Amino acid sequence: MEEAKRDEEESKQQQIWSWGAGTEGQLGTGKLEDEYLPQLLHLPILSSTGRISTLACGGAHVIALTSGGRVFSWGRGTTGQLGHGEMLNSLHPKPVTSLQSYFITHVSAGWSHSGFVSDIGCLFTCGDGSFGQLGHGDYMAQSTPVKVNYFADKFVIQIACALRHSLVLLRGDQVYGFGSGKRGQLGISRDKIKSVNLPQVTCGLEDVEIVSINANGDHSAAISADGHLYTWGRGFTGASDANFPQLSLSSLRCTEAALGWNHILLLTGDGELFMFGGNYHGALCDLEKMSAVKHLSDSSGAVLNKVSGLDGVKVMKIAAGAEHSAIVTVDGAIKTWGWGEHGQLGLGNTDDQTIPQTVSLGPDIQNEEAFFNVYCGSGFTFAISPHEVLSTVEYRSQGSVEFVVRSQSSNSVTYSVEKPETTYSARMPNEKSQIYFNTETIL
Amino acid sequence: MSYDDVEIEDMEWNEELKAYTYPCPCGDLFQITKDDLRLGEEIARCPSCSLYITVIYNIEDFLGDNDKSKNKSLEPAKQQPISVA
Ligand SMILES: [Zn+2]
Repeated sequence: MEEAKRDEEESKQQQIWSWGAGTEGQLGTGKLEDEYLPQLLHLPILSSTGRISTLACGGAHVIALTSGGRVFSWGRGTTGQLGHGEMLNSLHPKPVTSLQSYFITHVSAGWSHSGFVSDIGCLFTCGDGSFGQLGHGDYMAQSTPVKVNYFADKFVIQIACALRHSLVLLRGDQVYGFGSGKRGQLGISRDKIKSVNLPQVTCGLEDVEIVSINANGDHSAAISADGHLYTWGRGFTGASDANFPQLSLSSLRCTEAALGWNHILLLTGDGELFMFGGNYHGALCDLEKMSAVKHLSDSSGAVLNKVSGLDGVKVMKIAAGAEHSAIVTVDGAIKTWGWGEHGQLGLGNTDDQTIPQTVSLGPDIQNEEAFFNVYCGSGFTFAISPHEVLSTVEYRSQGSVEFVVRSQSSNSVTYSVEKPETTYSARMPNEKSQIYFNTETIL
Repeated sequence: MSYDDVEIEDMEWNEELKAYTYPCPCGDLFQITKDDLRLGEEIARCPSCSLYITVIYNIEDFLGDNDKSKNKSLEPAKQQPISVA
């Protein structure tokens, strides 16, 4: 009996896979090698501290945030980005001990720096500071997360760490930028700004309610409460740089964006996936194949492509590496495409792919009804099995069909649904993770 | 095909590698040495993958430059100070 019970508990444990570039220890495999197929990881230190609610993957390091607000990191640490108090790589997850007295709710990993946000709105950064991207008013590297004093009397919700810059979203929806501004990615000035080492307000979003921010490469993006996408910084596919946030593709209502170094993925509320840029390795823009797909274009002439090869299957999760993409579809499949030289597509080879390809996590893995999460670093990919944050979904009918979804950290959102027979995702305020619920089973 | 065109002022001097570097999407660094630049080489390669970038620079800035008479304008903009807590 005892053993059977243990088996059951074991099988309920959260599973983590990684693949792609691994020479800095970023895959958590304990080896310094690339992996072309998903590797199931054995990370006892993580499984003993509760479930992982989110991962942040950077240039060659990974930050794991647990549902209990604790933080672990591994991979390249040569500029202090792991926050372990030393400038060393780590092959295995290690706790960021200096943050143990805080409850961390949000993390971000850039090329060589990291950001952490606590439940009381404090922001901490560490790693490479040579472009001012840590926001401490200097160009110092930090090997331990240091509180960003500029925001001492403000409430930070999110940070997005990119190649050489950072964006911060405050409660009350103000967006700030700091670090390298050469391509306009800070959105703080009409003139060319080399870099700033203290946060400055991003201009042009004052009248917009921003709910999420994104940054990668020299790109910046924000999504408003009404689903509009704003982009600034380096232009996509040869388009000119934008010094201020531009409303892109105003006909589209998106719920989520994922940025690469040359492409952007956009997810709509209906689970439709679009992409623009990426005519190099993120390549979906095989021009001959594209002629049949719907495209939208915005005023700057940027062409948006509906991602082909999905046959109308809804997409639930999106992630973008520097030059590759990973998604999870509503039927639980993980799909990847783009640059594959380091095995970052997880297809067992180093080929590039222009159309989403299904990744197999192994013969024993039942993808059905399992909402995996995917995360991409520059040249690598992680997948984790569902994070059961959902504690209650309460059904209310008040004219329309409404659900109250509550997570374990007792955040809640009220969710009105249109079609009560499908799966929905809900995003908790101050939490990056999303909760998936099937309204049919609740009704 | 060159992955990107990068101005030399946007590259970082890496004392350990004795090379100018720029992030490569694979996670490693594109690298080019001062000797390469003096010879007019404009391709910076990544040791870990097949990608390379084109470095935009003025060769005159490197000619007659050796390690003892450094051209100030081309020295790394910031020496990274390290703070270990
Ligand atoms: Zn490379």
